[in-house]
Amino acid sequence: MALSSPSGGVRRARQLLHVSVLAQSASPCGRFLAAANDFGEIAIFGLSAALSAEAKEENRRAVAVVRAHNGPVYSLASTERLLLSGSDGEIRAWSWAELGRKGCRELWTRRPPCRSSLEVPEINGLEVNQRHELRGHQDLVHVVALREQLPQVLSGGEDGTVRLWDLRTGAQVQLIEVHKYQECSRPQLGKWIRCLATESDWMVCGGGPALTLWHLRSGTPTTVFGLAQPQHHALFHQDLVLSGGVGPALHLLQLSGDVRGKVPVTPAALRSLCLHPRSPEHQVLTVAGNSPKIDVFTNLGYRAFSLSFT
Amino acid sequence: MSSESSKKRKPKVIRTDGAPAEGKRGKGDTDQETQTLLWRVSTKLEDPSGICMVPSNPPDVRYYSEESEVDLRDPIKDYELYRETCQELQRLMAEIQELKSRGIKENASEIDERRVQSCVHFMTLKKLNRLAHIRLKKGRDQTHEAKQKVDAYHLQLQNLLYEVMHLQKEITKCLEFKSKHEEIELVSLEEFYKEAPPEISRPAITLTEPHQQTLARLDWELEQRKRLAEKYKECLTSKEKILKEIEVKKEYLSSLQPRLNSIMQASLPVQEYLFMPFDQAHKQYETARHLPPPLYVLFVQASAYGQACDKKLVVAIEGSVEEAKALYKPPEDSQDDESDSDAEEEQTTKRRRPTLGVQLDDKRKEMLKRHPLSVTLDLKCKDDNVLHLTFHYLMNLNVMTVKAKVTTAMEMTTAISAGDLLSPDSLLNCLYPGDHGRKTPNPANQFQFDKVGILTLSDYVTELGHPYVWVQKLGGLHFPKDQPQHTVAADNSLSASHMELTVKLLRSRLQSRLALHKQFASLEHGVVPVSSECQQLFPTKIVSRLVKWTAIPYEDYAELPYTKDVIEAGLAEDTHLYYMALIERGTAKLQAAVVLNPGYSTLPPVFSLCLNWKGERNSSNDDNIRAMESEVNVYYKELWGPKPGYQLLTNQLQRLCMVLDVYLETEPHDPSVEGPKEFPQEKMCLRLVRGPLRLKPFKFNYPQGFFSHR
Repeated sequence: MALSSPSGGVRRARQLLHVSVLAQSASPCGRFLAAANDFGEIAIFGLSAALSAEAKEENRRAVAVVRAHNGPVYSLASTERLLLSGSDGEIRAWSWAELGRKGCRELWTRRPPCRSSLEVPEINGLEVNQRHELRGHQDLVHVVALREQLPQVLSGGEDGTVRLWDLRTGAQVQLIEVHKYQECSRPQLGKWIRCLATESDWMVCGGGPALTLWHLRSGTPTTVFGLAQPQHHALFHQDLVLSGGVGPALHLLQLSGDVRGKVPVTPAALRSLCLHPRSPEHQVLTVAGNSPKIDVFTNLGYRAFSLSFT
Repeated sequence: MSSESSKKRKPKVIRTDGAPAEGKRGKGDTDQETQTLLWRVSTKLEDPSGICMVPSNPPDVRYYSEESEVDLRDPIKDYELYRETCQELQRLMAEIQELKSRGIKENASEIDERRVQSCVHFMTLKKLNRLAHIRLKKGRDQTHEAKQKVDAYHLQLQNLLYEVMHLQKEITKCLEFKSKHEEIELVSLEEFYKEAPPEISRPAITLTEPHQQTLARLDWELEQRKRLAEKYKECLTSKEKILKEIEVKKEYLSSLQPRLNSIMQASLPVQEYLFMPFDQAHKQYETARHLPPPLYVLFVQASAYGQACDKKLVVAIEGSVEEAKALYKPPEDSQDDESDSDAEEEQTTKRRRPTLGVQLDDKRKEMLKRHPLSVTLDLKCKDDNVLHLTFHYLMNLNVMTVKAKVTTAMEMTTAISAGDLLSPDSLLNCLYPGDHGRKTPNPANQFQFDKVGILTLSDYVTELGHPYVWVQKLGGLHFPKDQPQHTVAADNSLSASHMELTVKLLRSRLQSRLALHKQFASLEHGVVPVSSECQQLFPTKIVSRLVKWTAIPYEDYAELPYTKDVIEAGLAEDTHLYYMALIERGTAKLQAAVVLNPGYSTLPPVFSLCLNWKGERNSSNDDNIRAMESEVNVYYKELWGPKPGYQLLTNQLQRLCMVLDVYLETEPHDPSVEGPKEFPQEKMCLRLVRGPLRLKPFKFNYPQGFFSHR
């Protein structure tokens, strides 16, 4: 529900100047994109309408904007029927079917346990699975990722480690201290791990340290991608690694380490990349970051158009 | 002889039973003798039926009347006698002749006898002649008499005929005579019988006889008219009386006028004493009558608003009333003037031809002519600063313009950067969003401009004033964008609906500008003035300091690399004011480019930051710088301070200093660099990093005094 009063318009203009889209998620049917920003709003975009041949300017605007949380929405995850959003200390679930309509309310809210009331943990990463309490990280957990073949979850955090956990037992299986490896560590930027992606045996992670491709079995870095800026999000796609971070560019990296392409994007820094596998048009990628605009790629070589948060 | 004399004699009427006149006897004697003689003669011949016996006379005298003898004798016989006599005479003559012819002696006695016989015959002839004459005379007399009678009858007949004709004429005249009574309109019969009293209308008689009816009606009419005439006289007299009374009263009133004037004069000092300047207001209203319609609407509405809601609003009219009156001369005069001036113009153009440029210039001046009267509004604020607004009306363009001036209660130290704040050009810029006053709001003016080669009104605003849209609204002029209108007339309700809001905006504009003025003076000295109510927004110790505060032009602002987002978002236009602030702490220098919207402080300023410390960091490459920007740009509600919120700018600057402190102090220690941190952490922070953006804690919590994340 966007603000409509004149003072609201004044404030909104300034908000949009500083908005960051922190997370995106594709709808189960593939026709919609949900994007969440740091003012607590989730915007639903009609992606297939925007991609169609007769798309007009209105199609590039949000179909609905839901005021999801009071604080920033840090993460989104999507199931068959639900959209989960994670914010300061709470997870809310929304029904995909109802998100487009006015007056949409969340289905449920869960509060994960927190130790003290002063520090309300933010939900940085959401993946859909059962819940265990996984203890181990020293500092905040930035990102979690599920492994496909094995019932494991990886997590990366501020303390610079990537830990693997077994989902059934809840025990930490592996610990990789990324910053200790000299190939990738960049102490001047810090040791925090922000982005993590995994595919079969491979993992790519980065943040303060450089973006690196790891082999999980051995736990060693195989390729260090030479990207100067810290990366915020990385994805495996076909035989490429897509990553975005500080700097207005989407990087297409080959597993061998070569930079296949560096595509300019609208946001000054990318925070979230989202692939839409179930979209009728194949190979749709949406990227978002420090801008009210979300770039849509139909071909990884160039930006097709932008959706805008209003 | 005697026959002649007998002709001459008048016939005598011999009365049979009377004695003839004795006088005539003498004369008549000879007559009678002859007549007697004749009688004797004739008795031989005839029947003496003509003898009249006069018994009275002696019996021997018989009067012989031949006239009566005529009546007795038969004229035919007399004629026969005459013929016979003539024949006898002829015979005698012949005999005589014969005798004579035969011889003389023998025949002498026969001749004598015959002669005597012929003499007798001659006597008969004479008598017969006399008788014939008498008969003739009698006949003539009879005819004459009859003729006379006939004439008399004829005359009578003529007279009678004449009289008949006369009478007939009279009759026709009488019949045709239209009596005046028919011209009088009488009331209709029904009304007459209804209204007239019975003694006049006498229905018994009048219904049957129309003559009487008409008479009765005339009577009634007469009576009514008499009555009405009397009433009329009465009314006339009463009217006269009333007229006299009116005269008296008029005189009384006119004598009152000078007395009232003197009372008014006497009351002037009382008015002044009680602060109720009625006289002054009255004079103003007099002058106001000469204002053109939009200025008049403005004047009326502003005075009304001032009296009703706002005691500190003073409205006055300035300018020359005579010139205003001169504009509206009656048409005949102006036509004369025109013809005169045309003649003059022709002469002057013959003498010296002005260049085209001068002509165009004159035409332009004519087009941009202002009405000689103007309305001034003085808005006084609580701290005695006054905003003077002068409203002019451009007659040919049908738009109003305004010029502004500020007089402050105290002498203000002008800060260098504050030069533009109170300048009359930009003071009223964008009072309503988008109303920059550089273009004329009347779309019809464009065509007028094309004729005289004026591009836009903005070239002339310094001299004429700004034609803001709110000025037109206050004057009741509304120029709809879509449909062109032939004439736009001043509308009172439009002015009234905008008056209150505009006056409030004007006041707040003036006060915000004055507040900023003061703040700038302080900022230029490196001191961020924070009032006591806002102290709680900031920690007690802030190390970063404001070092420089300058005004920069729009072009410089646009060239800065880190301001592109703001310009793209439409938050920085050339009507805004731009400043550059420099905050320093140690080796770190933070440059802040500030866009000040004319609608400060409802529209907060926008900051763009660039930190020079171990490299250049700005919002595009450092999330924390972006977060710092959003601290001042987005979360400004708490920074407004107490109403009316003019401290926003200074609070924003103070907050910038504060977050710079936090930023620098919470920077993680770089192990590759030797030595301690340049900025030891003195601020209390719960967590240093939060969220995917890994933001620093910029939010200050009062009264605990620690920093946390939003």
